[in-house]
Amino acid sequence: MVVEKILQVKDLNISFHTFSGEVKAIRGVNFDLYKGETLAIVGESGSGKSVTTKSIMRLLPEHNSEIKSGEILFNGKDLAKLKDREMQKIRGHDISMIFQDPMTSLNPTMKIGNQITEPLIKHQNMSRHDAKERALDLLKLVGIPKPEIRINQYPHQFSGGMRQRVVIAIALACNPKILIADEPTTALDVTIQAQILELMKDLQKKIDTSIIFITHDLGVVANVADRVAVMYGGKIVEIGTADEIFYNPKHPYTWGLISSMPDMDTEEEELFSIPGTPPDLLDPPKGDAFAPRNPFVMKIDLEQEPPFFKVSETHYAATWLLHPDAPPVDPPDAVKRRQSQYLEMTGVNSGAVGLDKGNSQFPGKKEGK
Amino acid sequence: MINKEDTISKDMFAPAHVDPSKSEKIAKPSLNFWQDSWFRVRKNKAAVVSMVILVILIIMAFVGPLLTPYAYDTQNTKHNNLPPRIQGLENVHWLPFDGTLTRRDGNVYNAYEVRKIDAYYWFGTDNLGRDLFARTWEGTQVSLFIAFMAALIDMLVGVSYGAISGYLGGRTDSFMQRIIEVIVGIPNLIVVVLMILVLKPGIMPIIIALSITGWTSMARVVRGQVLKYKGQEFVLAAKTLGASDTSIIFKHMIPNMFGVIIINTMFSIPSAIFFEAFLSFIGLGLQDPHASLGTLVNDGFVSMIAFPYQMIIPSIMIALIMICFNLVADGLRDALDPKMRD
Amino acid sequence: MAERKKLLEIKNLKQYFNEGRPNEVKAVDDVSFDIYQGEVMGLVGESGCGKSTTGRTIIRLYDATGGEVLYDGINVHGNKSKKQLKAFNRKMQMIFQDPYASLNPRLKIADVIAEGIDIHGLAKSKQERMERVYELLETVGLNKEHANRYPHEFSGGQRQRIGIARALAVEPEFIIADEPISALDVSIQAQVVNLMKKLQKDKGLTYLFIAHDLSMVKYISDRIGVMYFGRMVELASADDLYRNPLHPYTQSLLSAIPAPDPISERTRKRKSYDPASHNYGDNESVEFREVTPGHFVLCSEKEFKQYQAQSK
Repeated sequence: MVVEKILQVKDLNISFHTFSGEVKAIRGVNFDLYKGETLAIVGESGSGKSVTTKSIMRLLPEHNSEIKSGEILFNGKDLAKLKDREMQKIRGHDISMIFQDPMTSLNPTMKIGNQITEPLIKHQNMSRHDAKERALDLLKLVGIPKPEIRINQYPHQFSGGMRQRVVIAIALACNPKILIADEPTTALDVTIQAQILELMKDLQKKIDTSIIFITHDLGVVANVADRVAVMYGGKIVEIGTADEIFYNPKHPYTWGLISSMPDMDTEEEELFSIPGTPPDLLDPPKGDAFAPRNPFVMKIDLEQEPPFFKVSETHYAATWLLHPDAPPVDPPDAVKRRQSQYLEMTGVNSGAVGLDKGNSQFPGKKEGK
Repeated sequence: MINKEDTISKDMFAPAHVDPSKSEKIAKPSLNFWQDSWFRVRKNKAAVVSMVILVILIIMAFVGPLLTPYAYDTQNTKHNNLPPRIQGLENVHWLPFDGTLTRRDGNVYNAYEVRKIDAYYWFGTDNLGRDLFARTWEGTQVSLFIAFMAALIDMLVGVSYGAISGYLGGRTDSFMQRIIEVIVGIPNLIVVVLMILVLKPGIMPIIIALSITGWTSMARVVRGQVLKYKGQEFVLAAKTLGASDTSIIFKHMIPNMFGVIIINTMFSIPSAIFFEAFLSFIGLGLQDPHASLGTLVNDGFVSMIAFPYQMIIPSIMIALIMICFNLVADGLRDALDPKMRD
Repeated sequence: MAERKKLLEIKNLKQYFNEGRPNEVKAVDDVSFDIYQGEVMGLVGESGCGKSTTGRTIIRLYDATGGEVLYDGINVHGNKSKKQLKAFNRKMQMIFQDPYASLNPRLKIADVIAEGIDIHGLAKSKQERMERVYELLETVGLNKEHANRYPHEFSGGQRQRIGIARALAVEPEFIIADEPISALDVSIQAQVVNLMKKLQKDKGLTYLFIAHDLSMVKYISDRIGVMYFGRMVELASADDLYRNPLHPYTQSLLSAIPAPDPISERTRKRKSYDPASHNYGDNESVEFREVTPGHFVLCSEKEFKQYQAQSK
C-alpha cells in the first residue's frame, strides 16, 4: 500500500532560552504523517509533544525559542524556514489547529458567525454571502443544532462542548490538509469528550484530513489513533500503529504508561508505577533519558542514546533492550496480557522482547529514511 | 547515529544499577525568592545603573553638606548670586563650572573676578549668598525623607486596610471600599492644601498630607491580592489545618504579595517627591531657611533668566531621582512579577 | 461487613451559593451518605456537579446551608468552641487538586509540612519538629535534603506527595482527597495512588476520594457515589456500580470512558443521558432508594420496581 506522506518532520531540534539556561525541549524528532490518518502523540507534560506541533504551526514564542536544526516538510516546503508572510497563508488554510481550552480560543466579543467566516473571506476570497452559507454548513457539520440562530450568538452563549464544536468548525473552514488537535478534550467532561471524539472521527471520514492528535490520555488515543508516537524527554521513543503500541509495546516507558493505568478490571493490590520524575531538559542526562527510571536499565543506557530499532515495517522503538545482545526481560503483567492478546489477534509471535531478534536486524536505521 | 554494532561490547548490556533515590534528586541549586529576583534584576541594565545612581544620590544627600565649608543656612549677602565654580574645572570652558555669567546683551564675564571674590561655590550661591551645593544636598535629603516616610506610611496603612477589607469580605468589605471611594473621589490637591493650611507648613504636615490620600491605591491592590489568595488551595489547606486568621494573612498571604507591595511602594516614592516639589513650588512647602528640592526650584525660578543655574541644578536632581526610581521600580516589577517568569 | 462502624454520616447536606438571590446555585442539594471506618468512598461526576463542594462543605471550608455532617456521632457544623474545632482539624484532613497552587511558594518544604505540627503543638522542641518532618518526607518517598527547598523546585507528583505529607502531619483519621491526581501525568498518577493506598493500609485511614477519572476511582474505592447536578444519583459498591449501573446517568457516564484498548474502543457504544427521559409525573416522589442491599439509586417508585426487577 502506497500512502502519500503529507508532512515529514526530520531531525527536529528546538531549544528554549530561559533565565536558567538553554532548555533542549525537542531533541531530534522524526516522524511522517500520512494522508487521511490520525497520528496520536502521547507523552507527559514536558515531553515536547506540544512544542513539536507548535513548531509545525510556527507558533513558538519568537523571543526565546529557536529551531536549532531539522526540517518540517509540507508540500515540498520547509516550514521551519518559511517567511512569516508565507506561513500565514498556510496557517489556518492548509494546516489548522484546535487548542485545549475552548473558553479561551474563541474571541468573546465576536459573533460565532464572523469568527467562522473571517478565515474564509481572508484565505479563500469568498464573498460575504458565500462565506455565511459555508459557515452554516460547517455548524451543521459539527452537529450544532439550529445553526441559523447560533451563527449570530456570542461564545458565552455556548456550553463548553458546543464551543469546542465551534472551534472545530473554524479549524475546518478552509478544508485543511492537516488538523492539529492539542489536547482538544482535556478540558471537557467525559461524556462531552466522547461526543467530540466521535465528531472528529466522523469528520475525518467525510473530509479526509490528516490529524495530529496530542493527548496524555491513553484511552483517548486508543479511541482515535491509527498510529501512535510516544514521546519522552524531547524525543519519540516508540512509534507504531495503535495496535502495535497497545498490544505489543517494546519500550519500557510505554510499558510503564500502559500498565500504570488501571482498566475497569484491574484488581491488583498495587498499580505498576514508573518511579522517579521526568528528566530535566535543562541538563538532559547522558545516554537514554529514560534510564534513571527504567527498571531494566543497562550500562549502555547510561552511555549512549539508543537508536531506533525496527520491530516491524511500521513499528520502531528506541531502546537498547531491542539490541540483539540485550538480555531478555520480563515486562509488567499488564503488558504480557496485552502481548498474548496480540498473539491471538495476529498469529505472529511477538513474545517477550528478547525473543524477536529476527526483526531487529537493522539497528540504527531511523524511521523515515 | 550509531551504526557500528560491533563497537558495542557485550558487557555494556549488563544490568546497571541506578540509585532509585537519585531519580528524586533535584540538580538545580536551591534559590529562594529573593535570590531568584536579584538574579533577574541584575539582568536589567537600566535598573542596575539607576540603583547605583540612587545609592550615590542618597549617600551624597547625607555626606554632601559636609563636603563644603559653607553651611546651607549661612547667609553672606556679599557673595550672593555667584555662578558655579569648581577648582580644576574652572578652566574647562565648555563646562558650566567656570564661574562665568552671561549679561542680557550677550557679554560673558567672570562674576568671581569682576566682584573680586576668591572663593569656590561648586553649585553657586542664591540671592542671599547661601551655598547652593549644601542646600541642594540638604534639599535632596529632606525630599527623600518626606518621600520615604510617605511611602512607608502608605504601605503600612494600605496593606493593613486592604488585607482586613479583603479577608473579612462581605459587608465589612463593601463598607471599607466605600470609604476609599469617598477619599479617592475628593481631588487630593484640595485635601492636601487644606491639611497644610490647618497644620502649618513643615516636614511632618507634608508627610501627613501626602499619606492621607496616598494609601488608597495600595489598599486596593492588596485587597485584590487577598481576594485572589483567599481561594487558593494553600490557604484552604492552612484553614483545614486549623490555622488562625492572623497566621493565614501574615504567613501565607502577605509574603506572597511582597513583590506587588514593593513595586507599588517604589512607584509611590517618585510621585511623593514630585508632589512635595509641587507643593513647595506653589508656596505650601517648607519655610526658609529649610530647603527641599521643590523650594530650591521655586527660589531659582524667580531669577531664572539672570541666574539659570539656580533652577537648573535642583531640577536636574528631581528629574534624576524620579527617573531612577521609576526605572528601578520597572526592573523590580519584571523581576518580581510571577507572570513574567519562564 | 455489617458490623462496620460509621465514621461519617452526611445527612441531607445542602450547600446553596447566593441563597435567595436570582443567581442562586444549588451546588449540593440534599445529599445523604455514610462513610464507614477504613473504607475508601469514591465520589464521581462531571465538573460542576458539586462533588468538590460536598468535600469542602464536609471539612467546613464552607458553612452548610442545611443538613448535618456527623463525625463519630458529633455534628461538625454549627457553633463550636476553638478547642472542638481544632480537634476536628486534626481528625479530618484534605489533599488538594492542584499541586502548583496547594503549596505556599514562599515557604520551605519543612515549614509547609510542619504547619500542622506548629498549630497543634505536636512537637516539643525544634529538633523533634524536624525529625517529624524528615519522617513524613520519608513516608511519602522523599528525603531529608528536600526539606530546605522551595515548592517551585519540585515536579507535580513530588508536590502532591508533599501535600499528602502535610495532611499526615496531624495524624488524621479521615482524609478528603479532592481530585488528587487529575492534574498529574499518567506515569505519576500511579505513584500517588499507590502511596495513598499504602498509607491507608498502614495507618488505617478512611478516604473520601473525589475524582472524575472513573477507572482510577474504581481501582481505589470500595464504594462509589455518582453525583449529577448537586444530587447523588447512585451509590453502590465499586464492583456493583460498574457491573450493574442502574441510573441512566451512571450508564451514560460509564459508556463514555475511553479504555486504553483499541479493539474494545472500536466497538464501544456510547449512551447519552437526557434528564427528561425519566418523565417523572407531578406527584411522583423521586427519592434515594435502596434497590439491592447497599445499592442506592435516585428514582421514583415506578423506576424503583423496575430496577429491582432488573437486578434480580
